[in-house]
Amino acid sequence: MFDGLLNGMMMGIETAFIPMNIVIVLFACFMGSMIGMLPGLGPITAVALMIPLTYGLNPATGMILLAGVYYGAIFGGSTSSILINAPGEAAVVATTFDGYPLARRGQPGKALAVAAYASFSGGTISVILLMFFAPAMANVSKNFQSGDYFALMILGLTAISAFTGRGSFLKSILMAIFGLMLSTIGTDQTSGTQRFTFGSLELLDGIDFLLLAMATFAITEAVFIVLNRDAASDSFKPRNLGFKSLKVSKKEIKSIIPTVGRSSLLGYFIGVLPGAGATLGSMMAYGMERNLASKEDQAEFGKGSLKGLAAPEAGNNAASTGSFIPLLTLGIPGSGTTAVMLGALIAYGINPGPRMFVESPETFWGVIMSMYMGNMFLLVINLPLIPYIARLLAVPRNMLVPFILFFSIIGVYLITFNAFDIKMMVIIGVIALFLRLMDFPMAPILLGFILGGLMEYNLRRALIINDESLSFMWERPSTLIINLITLVFLLLPLIREARTRISLMRQKPAA
Amino acid sequence: MITKEKCGALALLIFSIAYGYQATKMPLTFLAAQEVFNSKTLPIGLSVAGIIISVLILVLPVSDPEKRIPFTEAFKGKVWGQTIMLFVNMAFFGFVMPLLGFIVASIIFLLAGFFILGERRWLRMIITAIGVVVFLWFLLSYLMGIYIAPGEIFYMMGVIDV
Repeated sequence: MFDGLLNGMMMGIETAFIPMNIVIVLFACFMGSMIGMLPGLGPITAVALMIPLTYGLNPATGMILLAGVYYGAIFGGSTSSILINAPGEAAVVATTFDGYPLARRGQPGKALAVAAYASFSGGTISVILLMFFAPAMANVSKNFQSGDYFALMILGLTAISAFTGRGSFLKSILMAIFGLMLSTIGTDQTSGTQRFTFGSLELLDGIDFLLLAMATFAITEAVFIVLNRDAASDSFKPRNLGFKSLKVSKKEIKSIIPTVGRSSLLGYFIGVLPGAGATLGSMMAYGMERNLASKEDQAEFGKGSLKGLAAPEAGNNAASTGSFIPLLTLGIPGSGTTAVMLGALIAYGINPGPRMFVESPETFWGVIMSMYMGNMFLLVINLPLIPYIARLLAVPRNMLVPFILFFSIIGVYLITFNAFDIKMMVIIGVIALFLRLMDFPMAPILLGFILGGLMEYNLRRALIINDESLSFMWERPSTLIINLITLVFLLLPLIREARTRISLMRQKPAA
Repeated sequence: MITKEKCGALALLIFSIAYGYQATKMPLTFLAAQEVFNSKTLPIGLSVAGIIISVLILVLPVSDPEKRIPFTEAFKGKVWGQTIMLFVNMAFFGFVMPLLGFIVASIIFLLAGFFILGERRWLRMIITAIGVVVFLWFLLSYLMGIYIAPGEIFYMMGVIDV
């Protein structure tokens, strides 16, 4: 086992450390930090915006770039949370609890530095764990058949819905179904039948996943900044932010080491669960640390506690790295961002999941090893630059929003050179805006859309192999185990939600 | 008054019904129609699942008390004028792109975008829009070797020979 691990690491080092890839990681971390920092824009948008750039690259380099953008955006998101109390996405909300009060106390540099050290540690601990767990998981799943893949995809769809907030389980499932419906538009690859094309030549190839990602995330997020009069950045003035302000004392670092260790481990294992993601990782790490803290420390939480800042930062970075395990080894995205990456992998012609470990080991190991480098770059190069990058927050939204919209549209147009796609983006953007206003989550749409084609293909194959019988769902132990886990993920939140809703229904007539 | 999640569920219920209806109308070859799993199977299954879940959301009460607010509240206090104009600008961009070509259409799109959002410093707007678009065009055409077709209008006006 260790021989395989060492060989893999060597292969990863060879791939990640070629000069081109080093430059790519540096560029990706920088771009990710910049985009992630912009209020309203999260890692999904950052990754989607960068996908067009990766089409000319080889798959390993493309994935290295996207992974760098992902953790760069999480890092950037923390910066806007700390400086202007505007988290770009849910995963960095917990960072505002203590990061913003610390910045308001006149220590924004210290807050940024603590966040960066905690992110670095969380990311690095998580990469080490990923290195050991990913190959083991990939080895187990090497013998998977079509039926197992189908079951895995159902698990992925269910899991992302199971971890959504209170009262959102049914809505998430419905959105995943909506995504699956959109994936059936176009020509059926197996039979050649045209589905839902309404005679349009442009719809024969279906909807491009990047178009959907841009329309549901990049465009709606940019429009939301305008719609909600989100002018948080307009008031930002980059004062009190210089290189010297980033200094943290040895005593302070010592005090957060146990917090970072615990939060990283917790974040990693939460990230590995398909669907849980960085939001749950950061929130649980914050909650755990507050519960474990002494009474004096507890009183500091919410007022600028260093532990309260370090915990969610280590937790969300560890969880984002952990979410690569289901993506790289099983082909199941653990979050909306990894769903976009899965779409990119498919576009590169790579078969995501267990086969990737065998067929494209250089991509598998290259991405893992590049994460070490990326975490290092974020700390050593990006952190000192943060005071300067943060000036981006001072760009007024009336200049910023048109540029975000422009790059989202052009990113899709430059792949197909078809103006129809721009009109399609507008239509999907309007639908997505309506659904977001109605509090429906967007990530399950992408997940359903990306997994839809693969799911149908594997189900069809499994049925052909099994003489059109559904018995493959329980005959093989591996399929049965996956299906049982799915059942748990499906039934527990369903029962919980149904009980809450039914008890409310009973209370109503009584009242 | 209907709540936000019920309004969304109602829209998706209508979509699921329409989707399912279209799925049943899908033409199949004779051989494909004999298969247990054909091109219609998944869409019909998804339509049924979509209808069931939408109806469940519509029938069951809203579990989160904070979300028990009428759907009309979601539209109140928002900047609708600028938002709608931005969508119109995007759609216009899609329509004029083949006619005007990448450079001209993009510059117009950015200028209109800045204007819609209240920017009135014309010199800054023009320099930014032209600078970014021309730089991007140069990057794509000369450095990355991507061919970007000029707009049809340049052929119509005889600026470029066919």
